[in-house]
Amino acid sequence: MGNFFKRTTKPKLKDKQTPGAKEKQSSSQSLSSENWETALSKSNDFKKMHYISQKSGRPFTIVFISSLVDDSIINEFILPGLLTGNFDEAADVKKLVPAADVQLSSDPKDIETKLLSGYVMLTVGENTNELVFIAAKKQINRSISPPEVEFSVIGPKEAFVESIDQNLYLIRKRLPIKELVVENLQVGKLSKTHIAILYIDHLVDRTNVQTVVQRIKDIEFDEISDSSYIVQMISDNENSPFPQLLDSERPDRISAVLAEGKVAILVDGSPHALVGPTTLAEFYSSFEDYYLNWLISVFFRLIRFFSVIFSLLVTPVYVAVLSYHYELIPKDLLGTLITSRRVVPFPPILEALILELTIELLREAGARLPTKVGQTIGIVGGIVIGTASVEAGLTSNVLLIIIALAALASFTTPIYRMGNTIRLLRFPFLLMAELWGLVGILIGFAFLLTHLLRLTSLGRPYLEPMYPPRISDFRDAIVRLSFKKQSKRPQFLRTENTTRFSKKKGEQKKDIDE
Amino acid sequence: MREKIEERFQISPFLALYAIVSMQIGIGVLGFQRIISMEAGYDAWISVLLSGISIHAIVWMMYKICETAEGDAVTANLFAYGSMIGKGVSFLFILYFIILSVAILRGYIEVIQVWVFPELSVWGFAAVFLVLVIYIIYGGFRTVVGIAFFGLVLPAYLLLVFGFAFRYSDFTNLLPILDHTPIQLLKSSFHMSLTYMGFEVLLFIYPYIKKPEQSKKWVHFGVIITTVFYTAIAVITFAYFSEKLLQKSIWATLDMWKIVNMPFVERFEYIGIANWVLIILPNVCLCIWSASRIMKQIFPLRQRKAVIIIAIVCLIIVGLLDTRQQVNMFMDLTGKIGFILNYLYVPFLFVSVLIARKVKKK
Repeated sequence: MGNFFKRTTKPKLKDKQTPGAKEKQSSSQSLSSENWETALSKSNDFKKMHYISQKSGRPFTIVFISSLVDDSIINEFILPGLLTGNFDEAADVKKLVPAADVQLSSDPKDIETKLLSGYVMLTVGENTNELVFIAAKKQINRSISPPEVEFSVIGPKEAFVESIDQNLYLIRKRLPIKELVVENLQVGKLSKTHIAILYIDHLVDRTNVQTVVQRIKDIEFDEISDSSYIVQMISDNENSPFPQLLDSERPDRISAVLAEGKVAILVDGSPHALVGPTTLAEFYSSFEDYYLNWLISVFFRLIRFFSVIFSLLVTPVYVAVLSYHYELIPKDLLGTLITSRRVVPFPPILEALILELTIELLREAGARLPTKVGQTIGIVGGIVIGTASVEAGLTSNVLLIIIALAALASFTTPIYRMGNTIRLLRFPFLLMAELWGLVGILIGFAFLLTHLLRLTSLGRPYLEPMYPPRISDFRDAIVRLSFKKQSKRPQFLRTENTTRFSKKKGEQKKDIDE
Repeated sequence: MREKIEERFQISPFLALYAIVSMQIGIGVLGFQRIISMEAGYDAWISVLLSGISIHAIVWMMYKICETAEGDAVTANLFAYGSMIGKGVSFLFILYFIILSVAILRGYIEVIQVWVFPELSVWGFAAVFLVLVIYIIYGGFRTVVGIAFFGLVLPAYLLLVFGFAFRYSDFTNLLPILDHTPIQLLKSSFHMSLTYMGFEVLLFIYPYIKKPEQSKKWVHFGVIITTVFYTAIAVITFAYFSEKLLQKSIWATLDMWKIVNMPFVERFEYIGIANWVLIILPNVCLCIWSASRIMKQIFPLRQRKAVIIIAIVCLIIVGLLDTRQQVNMFMDLTGKIGFILNYLYVPFLFVSVLIARKVKKK
């Protein structure tokens, strides 16, 4: 490209002349056409170029922000057509530019948003009322990687990434039906985060969708960094340690729950999708359960439920029994306990608190450090501190075993967010055990139970199917029955279409030797 | 007159079963065996069945009352006796539910004091417990019934523990059958009816049941469950203890759990007592809920405030009951008032409501 006239205008600093501009900009409300240029031209990546078409001799201007725009699109698709083509006014440009997304507009309000979302603005001649926007967004995406938080041995190995377009692609690919609706919203005064609400029409309960849309629209916040912001903002009870929307990084899981009749929320810039309404039981189902035979997955789920209860209650029970109810321990076992505690100078509660806090320290340190160093810390800390504290007589080795087991059990929770909740809940139980022994633990448990009973997820009961008791929903809650038995969608979702597949076909039984 | 409760606050008909059964099973289970066998000896299990059957009649009347008045007992009182007397009678129910919850709570604290923590502060424990109750009631009626549900389902494993007593049981203890006079059996039935108490909340939860017509069978079924439960426990206890020994054990159920012996745990009564928190929790919750609901209806008061007022009154009375004698007297008194309400007042109200309906139709 040689012989055409090219001129780059230097950004004009009009700031001193219009001192009010800055204030107007900071209020970030609708900027007038004059103001957007002033504001943007302060940045060095704002580009405004003037050209003259060779064929018709018409001058035209393109404006864009270089960091958001892909240069090659401008060089290869936009400029050649315009420079060699014949056009008189803005409307003709559509024919010349081979791009899918070319929009005509005469609204100056569009300028700011379009430029900042990666469009190139084109004006022809001196006519600044006719604007053409050509999509030339730079696509820098992380490639799709295997899920790290919700890893599974069997099953697909793709996880969401930070780009909402790619995530939508991953879901659409799995649900290629016209009923899959994607509603777009924008949240955040400064971050202008794109949020997509997904659901399957004629299947989902409309009130769930409306609740989600309404709550997201009501969000007043400046900068949304991740979907976890949204979880906290649209939760039914913000003061609960329990997450009330499921988050998942697995596209297979999201498409499966969409098919169940739930609503999914994708947030641009976040590799975690949200799902609601959800229940407590769902947090203890790993998606791998569906990839295994149902008997095996029932076993695993039961193990997980048992381990939550174990991890939550075992140390408090130790404290309660050793402090108050040693009559409970049979004579033979009492000997073992006495030997292990003979040299320990602390009461059980102090002993337990020290060890629990040590484990929390190790976990936290391991989580903050880079992976390789973290592993070393875990091993060194765990083995060295553990053995040393037993040998020094600060803690009993029985308690060390119990606490290590409890920590291990808490890691079986498939959803990380829920695991954190269990970590926190152990401490109030410890204090209650110290206060009133087993009775205290039960009082604490009653408080927890009440909290869970009162909790809702998008207005649906959180403890379902345990309370309100719905026997039929147990088929995919604490246990997972075979696919044949899953012919109905969960009751609590109140789906418009409750049947997943014809039950008759699923349950047809053959006679012997037929 | 009729105030409609929104559907999203109502419970499914079958959940009424849990509310009623969890009300009926309470602190009494721990030691009813001695009291019923005082009169009728080891024929007392027949009395358990008898008073169980009588409850069906009362429940039937309760449903008729509520159906006729199209509402709970407060509406029925107003319907039958007019505004002034009706409200006065309803106010007595508030007092009854207050003393009932005090009796339950104080009775439980007594058990803890005797078996686990002799030094337990009555005030402190009652305060924490009542805060829990307030927290539950603030969650609405559905949460209250949820607690009733879990208060019945979760401690159900304790039933298995009775299995340990089987090994040391001798069912010939029960023979000869019908060794006592009908009068003795009836007296024993009277004592038993005190243990069965609590189903009168039906009069107040009625408007909160979706399709109350369908709940009838569930409530009657629930009463059958309780009857079978108490009869079974009475029979096992009679087989386990000799008659003289039973007269010496105040909390026979707890004594039976002492025999439990597993490789990792023995003296199961401690676990049982701790678990009893979950069993008496719905009792107190439903009582205070009913009391606060009546209060809301007869005074211009929000239920939130009513709950707190009632809880404070309960706390004060619980704290004032100091000695074992006082607690016993208070529990006896509560039982008698409950008996009057269930077996005298309910039939009386039933007749009054029927008469009132006839009069109003004319």
